[in-house]
Amino acid sequence: MDEIRAALALARKDIRNVSRYRFVVASQIFTPLYQGVLPALLFGAAFAVGGRVVGLEKTIGTADLAGFIFLGGAMSGLVATAFWAMAMSFRNEMEAGTLEPTWLTPTSRETLVIGRALGGLFWFLLGQIVIFAIGILFFGLRFRPELFYATPAMLLAVLAMVGIAYLLAALVLVIKEANFFIDTTNFLFATASGVAFPVTLLPGVLQPVAFALPTTYAMDILRQQALGTRPLFDPALEYVALAVGTVVVYPLGLWAYRRADRRIRVRGSLNQY
Amino acid sequence: MSQAPAVEVTGLTKVFEKGRRTIWQRLRREPDKRETFVAVKGIDLRVERGEIFGVLGPNGAGKTTTLRMLATLLEPTSGEARILGLDVKTHPREIRANLGAMLSGERSLYWKLTARENLEYFAALYHVPPRETKGRIDAALVAVKLADRADDYVERYSTGMRQRLALARALLPDPPLVILDEPTVGLDPQAARDLRDRVRELKRQGRTVLLTTHYMEEADQLCDRIAIIDHGEIVALDTPAALKRRIRAEEVVSLEIGMTGEAVAGTPGPDWAPMLARLARAAVIARSERRNGTLAVTAHCASARDFVPAAFDAARSEGATIQHVEVVPVSLEDVFISLTGRALRE
Amino acid sequence: MNAAYLAGDLRALRAAGRKELRTIRRYPTSFVGMIFWPVMLPAVWVLMGQAYSGGGDPQALQAFADRAGTTGITVFVFVGYAMYMWLSSLLWGPGTALRQEQIRGSLEAVFLTPASRLVPLFGPPLTNVIWVFMNLLVTGIGVWLLFGIVLPLEGALYALGITLVGVPAMYAMGSLFGAGVLRFGEIGPAVQFVRGSLALLCGITFPIVMLPAWAQAAAAVMPPTYIVDGMRSALLKGATFADLAPVAGTLLVLAIAFGVLAVVVFRWLEAGARRSGMLGRY
Repeated sequence: MDEIRAALALARKDIRNVSRYRFVVASQIFTPLYQGVLPALLFGAAFAVGGRVVGLEKTIGTADLAGFIFLGGAMSGLVATAFWAMAMSFRNEMEAGTLEPTWLTPTSRETLVIGRALGGLFWFLLGQIVIFAIGILFFGLRFRPELFYATPAMLLAVLAMVGIAYLLAALVLVIKEANFFIDTTNFLFATASGVAFPVTLLPGVLQPVAFALPTTYAMDILRQQALGTRPLFDPALEYVALAVGTVVVYPLGLWAYRRADRRIRVRGSLNQY
Repeated sequence: MSQAPAVEVTGLTKVFEKGRRTIWQRLRREPDKRETFVAVKGIDLRVERGEIFGVLGPNGAGKTTTLRMLATLLEPTSGEARILGLDVKTHPREIRANLGAMLSGERSLYWKLTARENLEYFAALYHVPPRETKGRIDAALVAVKLADRADDYVERYSTGMRQRLALARALLPDPPLVILDEPTVGLDPQAARDLRDRVRELKRQGRTVLLTTHYMEEADQLCDRIAIIDHGEIVALDTPAALKRRIRAEEVVSLEIGMTGEAVAGTPGPDWAPMLARLARAAVIARSERRNGTLAVTAHCASARDFVPAAFDAARSEGATIQHVEVVPVSLEDVFISLTGRALRE
Repeated sequence: MNAAYLAGDLRALRAAGRKELRTIRRYPTSFVGMIFWPVMLPAVWVLMGQAYSGGGDPQALQAFADRAGTTGITVFVFVGYAMYMWLSSLLWGPGTALRQEQIRGSLEAVFLTPASRLVPLFGPPLTNVIWVFMNLLVTGIGVWLLFGIVLPLEGALYALGITLVGVPAMYAMGSLFGAGVLRFGEIGPAVQFVRGSLALLCGITFPIVMLPAWAQAAAAVMPPTYIVDGMRSALLKGATFADLAPVAGTLLVLAIAFGVLAVVVFRWLEAGARRSGMLGRY
């Protein structure tokens, strides 16, 4: 109970803290829109023949450009939440001096990641609601009712990303150029998950990387259910792969995080020696 | 919890390695050739319940490292440390539940939250029961005299107020032991005085306080007992009065001595050795320093009234003049100098 | 302005540029980033283009060519992203240099010197020019290594020429942004917003005809629009000097316009700050 309360308090603190930087809130919500979604829509529409993106239909089985892009944006947002809000925030707080006092409390270090996850997911969901509302109002965004069958896949993806966040938190606490590392790996992870284009378009040597990521399957399941796209594999198999990936990555991330925590307690923090 | 001492430390050591080993070196199991730095060298100390215990030493002496080991933030390399009877290695969470710590002061607060919001957050992390949270927060704010500014953003606080808020946070778990790392550093004299009053209040409440400082006046005024630490070792541990008595002096005399006549350009300067030898017959020379052709001397003596005339005689016979005399009571700075040969502020 | 002050200001300008270069050298990952982002970001968009064109469906490609004037999607995208990287480095670097000085507290110290107030405004963008040409080099190599496309030499030279002509206009635009951002709070969101808006307005990743009429009109007064268009014409349509001369002329006019605007805004802010003490405070 204490740990749950602590996690909720952490989430509340993050939500309050971010909400006091008005421009940051607006930026978090609208940047994916004007930096990702809109340019992609305009780019894709440049290939439209008689109002239909026939090329996309040939690639994935549907000409629903808006649906393809908005759903990719949602998964991209989830990945970014894990990388920045759940993991990189540790490093930012460490450098600001606000991490140490949390380590002085009896709250377990694992709970600190869960709390950040809850806070990050709040902003993620809020942002997605706004973006999807804009999509529905201005870009003709529509989904099939089968979208809700993708809910278990999204929940598994969230769990998998928390596991990834543990792993990343372990790294950012000990490496020097954490910002650059998070920036580039966030981009590569999201791209390899198929947020921008189907992973089958990746060079052959990179496709195994894509298929090792749980988010690749979550992305595909989401698009299948919401838009009726052609699946990469048998949907049941994709669910199994997603579940297995989650079950592997979560404990792995936790292990790495505990190791990094111990390393800091033995060596002192990054800036000490 | 049984009445074990608040802090009990035996042979506590912390060794840091400089630099990192690459993954390649680890995989090849190459011997670890990194330079090591011993920050804390096998210290022993015991802090009784209800006392204010100070750890005094210059920057880099090992005070903060010691405190971080006791606060379970840093793992000792060897030795034992028990807080309220609990081993720091095996019971870190139980210790943190009963420990209030203020380590980095104003940097450790969220500036875009109010004081109350900061404390609400930490109350949850300290596992304060929900029904007690409001009461504890109010009590902590009253204790540090911030109750009237509780709903202001921390970014609008002065440095002194932020330090006090950090202290309030340390009080949230209602801890029997409070550890403070350089609590008054960076504060103006008034703010520092305020904070020291808060620390005395903690003792009146029956709590134990362990603090580090490099301000010897602060240690002298506040602490029941002091450990003087230098280069990772405790060089002395006792009450302030007993420490001062150690150097067997009641007074400290500072002299500035110059040679009579013009200094000749190009010559190496006067030979002070005979002068120092004569002074040493009348007092213990704690320190001497040559500066621009003058000799600055700090002497410990039983009575300045006896020593000062003797010093003037010595100067006259050596052809020198005493340009400046200052007589002050013995301080912990003098104790430190006599133990280590250096000033606290070097 | 007498000769002694002018000489002093020129030396101060050079020192400001040198200070920026030193700061950049302290961050080695910024060099790795210079190779990674100009290649990886457009590569993703090229693959997006493959998805939207159905792997080269003739109808889809023709539709794109009708709007963009070319089927060379790879070079189209890479040129757009070269401009995106330029904008990024310009806005983050010189664009925020003044504001960063203000936050750090060093702006007041700079203003206490006899150097012209315009030195901190125009000094930092000087180093940006070096980055621009390194960026173009990386882009050219990236296109060749990843997609096997060798850029035509003549086209590449014209593209470089357009870039050179466009430098003063970009420089002036960056300084206007730098003066403007001094007034407002958060640097990060300001850069994101301006960069994102310019990326949308200037046809960086899509043909400009895809924009509504009002947006196309706004794009017509932005230097990036002309630089991107000029570079694409040179590399993809075999544009000659005669074709590119009007583009160059427009860029020079925009350089003067933005430069004047930057000085006006900055002087106005400075006058207000002398009354209120704002520039020294954050």
